[in-house]
Amino acid sequence: MNWFFVLLSLMVFPGGLFLLAGGMAYEWVDRKMLAVFQNRAGPRWFQPLADTVKLLIKEEIIPDKVNEILFIGLPIAALAGGLTAALYVPVAGLTPVYSFPGDLIVTLYLLSLLTLCMGLAGANTLDRFSLIGATRTLTQVFSYEAPFLLAMLGPALVAGSWQISDINAYAGGHWLILTQPVGFIVAVIGFMGKLVMPPFDAPEAHTEIGAGALTEYSGRGLAFFHLAKAVELIVGLSLVSAFYLGGLANPLEFLVKTLALLFVLIGLQSLLTRMRIDQTVGMWWRYGTLVVLAQWLVIILVMRP
Amino acid sequence: MNTKQEPQRFVIPIGPQHPALKEPGNFQFTVDGEIVTKAIVRLGYAHRGIEKAAEERTWIQDLYLIERVCGICSHIHALAYCLAVEQLAHVEAPPRAQAIRVLVAELERIHSHFLWMGVSGHEAGFDTFFMYSWRDRERVMNILEKLTGNRVNYSANVLGGVKFDLDQEQIASIRGGIDFLEERTRHYLDVVATDFMFLQRTRGIGVMSRAQAEIMGAVGPTARASNVARDVRKDAPYAAYKEYPVDIILDERGDLEARFEVRLKELFESFHLIRKILDTLPGGELTARMPRKVPAGEAVMRVEAPRGELLYFIRSNGSDKPERLKIRTPTICNLTSVVKLAIGHQLADVPMILAGIDPCFSCNDRSVQIRTSNDPDGRMLSWDELRQHGIDFYKRLEK
Amino acid sequence: MRIGVMFPDVSGALMRHSATEKYPFQRQGVTARLRSLLKWNPEACTGCGLCAMDCPAEAIQVNVLDRKAKRFVFAYQVDRCAFCGQCVESCRQGALEMANDRWELAALNKEPFMLYFGDPDDIKTVLAAEPAGEAGIPADK
Repeated sequence: MNWFFVLLSLMVFPGGLFLLAGGMAYEWVDRKMLAVFQNRAGPRWFQPLADTVKLLIKEEIIPDKVNEILFIGLPIAALAGGLTAALYVPVAGLTPVYSFPGDLIVTLYLLSLLTLCMGLAGANTLDRFSLIGATRTLTQVFSYEAPFLLAMLGPALVAGSWQISDINAYAGGHWLILTQPVGFIVAVIGFMGKLVMPPFDAPEAHTEIGAGALTEYSGRGLAFFHLAKAVELIVGLSLVSAFYLGGLANPLEFLVKTLALLFVLIGLQSLLTRMRIDQTVGMWWRYGTLVVLAQWLVIILVMRP
Repeated sequence: MNTKQEPQRFVIPIGPQHPALKEPGNFQFTVDGEIVTKAIVRLGYAHRGIEKAAEERTWIQDLYLIERVCGICSHIHALAYCLAVEQLAHVEAPPRAQAIRVLVAELERIHSHFLWMGVSGHEAGFDTFFMYSWRDRERVMNILEKLTGNRVNYSANVLGGVKFDLDQEQIASIRGGIDFLEERTRHYLDVVATDFMFLQRTRGIGVMSRAQAEIMGAVGPTARASNVARDVRKDAPYAAYKEYPVDIILDERGDLEARFEVRLKELFESFHLIRKILDTLPGGELTARMPRKVPAGEAVMRVEAPRGELLYFIRSNGSDKPERLKIRTPTICNLTSVVKLAIGHQLADVPMILAGIDPCFSCNDRSVQIRTSNDPDGRMLSWDELRQHGIDFYKRLEK
Repeated sequence: MRIGVMFPDVSGALMRHSATEKYPFQRQGVTARLRSLLKWNPEACTGCGLCAMDCPAEAIQVNVLDRKAKRFVFAYQVDRCAFCGQCVESCRQGALEMANDRWELAALNKEPFMLYFGDPDDIKTVLAAEPAGEAGIPADK
């Protein structure tokens, strides 16, 4: 019966359906709260689901002169990356389904798969907005990825393990946001860059370049990219709050901590103006990376026996 | 397309359908990476033939046609038309009517500047600013609705006067609304002048020097942000602006930040003016008698629309219809500056620079630029050249 | 130079109702001066036709059957009307009025947009005299 539980954990809970539903719920919270902050009514609770269903029903138009395998495959790879990453993360405050030493690195790379796929998808088409969007997406990857990685490795350094479940257990007793505030801030802002949230939405700034890298996507592919983003929202939120906000030990803790973090993210989204891509890069490489490296230095010096 | 002829160029088309433009216009920006190296504008997508249509209608019918040249500044168009026709017919609207005309024009300016402020915030990716400024714009729309019955296309003017009067209740509600809007405007001025993230997108972007502004013939707030003291309300007061003078707001910097500040500070002038009109509203009639046939002659009328100088030329041949009507809207004067200023800036700044002049494409589409395959950049034709072009064209067809 | 200058708005919005009007469920009243569907007073009308002449949208047609007996048929095309109020302004007898009561005019068919005022028999006469055009739309003068 072992394979049955494996399949269950992959397809229904905590992977698969649960993640998709949870991701859409969190996406709704994001949209609704942003609307409340802007004094609007905002969407009703089923809007993300309705959007997804609509996109899945729509005809998918494959533009001329693209590599069709890549065009169809990239959204699937992006979604798969997000879903796979969730298996190593204490989503819903439960112990991760799979765990091995060093899974933190694997998870972080799986999370980057979405942005990479979006960049490739944009570069795959001939559309001029897509190409600019793809350039910007990949530029953004190279700017936030290093500081984000460094910020996520900070807790690993203190916990003395590169295994997510170990760090989670260690963080349960230590609120690392207090000892590593810089890492927390960089992780949160890097996460916003990862999800292309405002103010880091230059890669899909619709007043400049339409929908950016995804301009040519219409039906199923677009739905998969959206779902991948929703899944990544929930995975990333649980990862950051597990590391910095005192660990995730049970579902209640998960809900409270991730929603609180999401609340902060939405506040930042509503208060800040979109940055140009050169400003984003400048900010990360001039300040972000340096402050995280400085914090690393402090950690290493303090932890020396 | 251009990319085919010169494959090394990468051209980003903005428009005629593009999320940054709510109206059809076409801009082609040649970019080198993110930097714009060349910009071409092409207009004419919303040419509605209003000038010709106006020749087919009576003076009274034209009033409502003219009001629909622009959706945002509808009153100022009708006002310019009325003033020009009244000038031709040697009729002067009574002082109370003139004051009410100015009152509506200033309320319209508030509504237009709030709208512009929100749209520019949206172009910069600051949606919260957009949502709040448009929420507050509802207040001035409600005032206009209460005053005139409509939220846009107020139909406040008739030839020789205005349609409606003000009563005490309305004066009170306008005062209340103005107080609220003044407080909000102060807050928005604070935002555009001090918010670090927003200033990153406006400070030093699209700088137009005073000399440039004068050469390119910029008008309205765009020119005033470059320290060109040009305001028809001051230079050639029309309607009741003689009795209610305004101060010109100037700024030396000429960048987007200056354009924001000039427009917002102008709002305080408008609030001040509205209060003054409400305090000292002259009594008397609302309309003067207007003949149905307007004596032959020509008239030019300049007014200050929210976007800048608006010019009307009308020729009458003594019948009940105008013989020729020519409109020059402020956007066409300011568009040149966009094409010039965009060069050297990042692609991300282009929508902001474009929004900075408060463009309104539908109202300016009155001329068509000729472009041929061996002259892709387009050229302007003089009247003789155009005539020759037509003759050559039909000669080619005959062969 | 500050960051997040709009914080008072954003935090205050948590306590405030959304500014969005939930239109079909919540109806705000209209203003007293709103110009809605045109009303015609047959008693006052003299059939001079000034309203039809000045109408910028050519939405009004005054058919005079008998001026002395005041037999008029007032044809009003609602979908053409721009609600500018020029007809009310032009009418010297005060026979026209644009009140603020009927403004939700959306309909699924064209019939509500073609209104004939006057004696039913006269309307029949006028309709019969019109050349067969598109249903409901009178031919041009």
